[in-house]
Amino acid sequence: MSIMKSLCVFPHSFGCPAALLALCLLPVRTLAGEPGPAASPADPGLPYVYTEWEHLTVKDGLPNDHIFAVKADGPRVWIGTENGFALYDTRTRKVRSWNEKDGLPWRVVAGIDVDRRTGEIWLALFGGGLARFSAGRFDHYHQLNSGLVNDVVYGVAVIGDEVWAATTAGASRYNTVKDKWDIYTEQNAPMEEIWNYGVSARDGKVFLAIWGSGILEFDLATERWKNYVDPDGEMEIDLYRDDGIPHVITTGVSYVDKILWASTYFGACRYDGRHWRGFFTHEGGTPSDFNNAARGRSAHECWYCTDKGVGAIVDFETDTWVVYRMDPDTHEGIAQIRRAGKILKTVRSPRGIPHNYALWADFDGNDVWVGTSKGLGWARGTDYYPRLKPASPQTTAANTSP
Amino acid sequence: MNTIGSSRNPRLAPCLASVLILVWSMYRADAAVEGAPEGTATPEAPVKPSIGEVLRLIDVGPYHVPPLPLITNQNYARSSADVEPFGAVKPFKEHFLTQMEYTGPGRAIPEPEHVESVKIGFLGPIMPTVSVATGGKSHEEVLGIAMLRGARLAIEQANAQGGYHRRKIPFELVVRNDNGLWGASGNEIVSMAYKDHVWAILGTIDGANTHIAIRVALKAELPMMTTGDLDPTYIETNIPWVFRNISDDRQQNYLLVDYLLRKLDYQRVAIIRSSNRYGRFGVREIRDGSRRLGRPVVIEMAYRVGETDFTMQLERIRESHPDAVIHWGNAIEGARVLNQMRAMGLRQPFLACDRCVSDEFVRLAGANADGVICTYPWNPTREDPKLEAFRKAFRERWGAESDTYAAHAYDGMNLFIWAIQTAGLNRAKIRDVLAHRPDPFPGVTGDIPLSAVLDDAGEVFLTRHENGQWRYYSRQDWEIPRGRVINTMRVEREQASAP
Repeated sequence: MSIMKSLCVFPHSFGCPAALLALCLLPVRTLAGEPGPAASPADPGLPYVYTEWEHLTVKDGLPNDHIFAVKADGPRVWIGTENGFALYDTRTRKVRSWNEKDGLPWRVVAGIDVDRRTGEIWLALFGGGLARFSAGRFDHYHQLNSGLVNDVVYGVAVIGDEVWAATTAGASRYNTVKDKWDIYTEQNAPMEEIWNYGVSARDGKVFLAIWGSGILEFDLATERWKNYVDPDGEMEIDLYRDDGIPHVITTGVSYVDKILWASTYFGACRYDGRHWRGFFTHEGGTPSDFNNAARGRSAHECWYCTDKGVGAIVDFETDTWVVYRMDPDTHEGIAQIRRAGKILKTVRSPRGIPHNYALWADFDGNDVWVGTSKGLGWARGTDYYPRLKPASPQTTAANTSP
Repeated sequence: MNTIGSSRNPRLAPCLASVLILVWSMYRADAAVEGAPEGTATPEAPVKPSIGEVLRLIDVGPYHVPPLPLITNQNYARSSADVEPFGAVKPFKEHFLTQMEYTGPGRAIPEPEHVESVKIGFLGPIMPTVSVATGGKSHEEVLGIAMLRGARLAIEQANAQGGYHRRKIPFELVVRNDNGLWGASGNEIVSMAYKDHVWAILGTIDGANTHIAIRVALKAELPMMTTGDLDPTYIETNIPWVFRNISDDRQQNYLLVDYLLRKLDYQRVAIIRSSNRYGRFGVREIRDGSRRLGRPVVIEMAYRVGETDFTMQLERIRESHPDAVIHWGNAIEGARVLNQMRAMGLRQPFLACDRCVSDEFVRLAGANADGVICTYPWNPTREDPKLEAFRKAFRERWGAESDTYAAHAYDGMNLFIWAIQTAGLNRAKIRDVLAHRPDPFPGVTGDIPLSAVLDDAGEVFLTRHENGQWRYYSRQDWEIPRGRVINTMRVEREQASAP
């Protein structure tokens, strides 16, 4: 019965019900908390699956359910919504929110980053510029009072003394110590178009996801740019899967452990500095090619926020994914473990992501936060382990489908 | 084939819906079959739900995606095999063949209780400004004002007929200037979306500014329709919220290439164009198509918008000994280029984009205008009572003749008005009825069938200036051949597309 239930809620994930049935009837692996027998090449083990989800919505005090951004900073979780900014304290479980009447310069908060050294919060305001939240005060930077190139800011990233803003008309770089702004557009950077969408900064590099210009890499030490575009140069096709980014319209970028994870509305990809690897729905891993954001956790793991759920590639080497969705009828969580295009297992849980239209993800130790267009999800990963763990044949996980 | 989302009914209903839609999706939607009569190719499915059925299906809660059948094309933009990119290679993936879905919760947002008017946004270049995106001083105000007049006329007519019928309140046009400076169009869209609370936005003309605008529309979840931006890439973005009701430069490029290379058998075509995005992207399929047909464009020269002296560009073009010269840019520069060409003794045929089909071009070009051939996204000389009524109403309202920008804006705004009257005040549902309308919208510019990417898939024309007036010709009129269109997805073909 539950297998059939799984079938019904994902009718478009499979071309043939019979094939699906066969896949779902494969021997169910277990999710043991303890390491099992050593994995063999034929049995690389299974990934961790988040089954303990909590939801935060306006009922819990959020200013709005449309979550554009979330940034976990220890027990403080900063939340950007379509109508306000909020802080959730995981210790007290209380929400505090700010809107324009509270000093927030503009209510639509599209991106958040934290300056770990100062504790200051930087907000990308969608149509309102950039804001620094410090000691309870908002400082407002916009086109008319600063070097911010445009007020429609999609993303923000802090690295060292610098704050980088991805705007719809270029990128701005603000040195908070020297109070110095730099603007990057097609005039001084290899931007074919200037429509910046996302920014990620780590390890001395800044990566910009640019709509119409692929991905730009900026090396802070050398001040040099490097650009990555779709090698085939065509809008209507992707010629080869692993030749570069799938499309020149990129939506998100995440740099971690010297691995570049990127998202587009046409697929997603990973780059290790030498090899590219594309990820597409028709190959059976990710639930959709329409990716709103990419959030890398390590060199092996990245969570792609799509319009049909979250596709988390959790072990790159074995092409193992966990696809998180919610059952729209029961609101139960449904997680599918997929490998190389095959569904290994479907795990149901009382709750899952709050909505299948996912917009953002962030990590906090073992936990994961997922922002959707209908609430924020907090996945508790008490026993989380990275990558795969050999399955224990004699155990049966509590969270597997009966 | 990804054709449906989840159903609002538990258990059995989704399964049944999935089977039905799966069966439907196997019935291919393309009519662009090899040998099909020109102008009849439609991306619409033979069987689509009625608008009543669409309304029933989209009445869902915040977590469900309505099981609406999605338009599926087998060939992107009716491209002939010999001009498809990388024709010798089977691509790993093709885009834009299946209609995008909106899967968010927006359909469940109730219609607001207190509304005094139904606001629809307008973004267009209506005031002079300095524009980085367009290469200096703005130059599109004439087009933008025509667009605004067409849109306003549609609003006024709708209000004269009772406005928004459900609430008996008027429609209101929220007008914003498309100032291309530093991405200002993005700010205007944000303002209209979050401050004015418009239900949809019509605009704009400049390709760069329109791209900026649709990125905002996607995030704000707001339907947006361009009635004057012919940049092919506008719709090649996979955004389920964007529409276009005018045939794009890709289709016009294809026709021009077929005319020059396949019919006239020209070997050497030169291009002179504006250096802005309009010129850069406007000729892309001419450049690519010519190369793929084995006769690459011999030279492509660019000029800055507002340029008056084209001597350097034309000297280079002369040295390349072209059979014909194509201009892609504004009317004023087009006329200047033409006049300087003739003054330099360059007698080659002069062909241009639709922007040169204007009084300004003819006035500046004088006798040189005779014989000029331009592409055009529709046939404004066809006999149609709707078109005549529109022209009469436009003339009476504005004391001027309507042009293509006015006519398409009029159609675009009427599409929005129809969608709002049909779906109510809900942005997602307005999008849905537009995207899933069962039949082409009967506009004054002709029927408007939408492709899988919600682009106008109507026929395009050539027009020639003859004896003081523009005369319009279809592909059939001039018996312009086209390459073989393979009505099978490239990834499913036995062989790569090149014959």
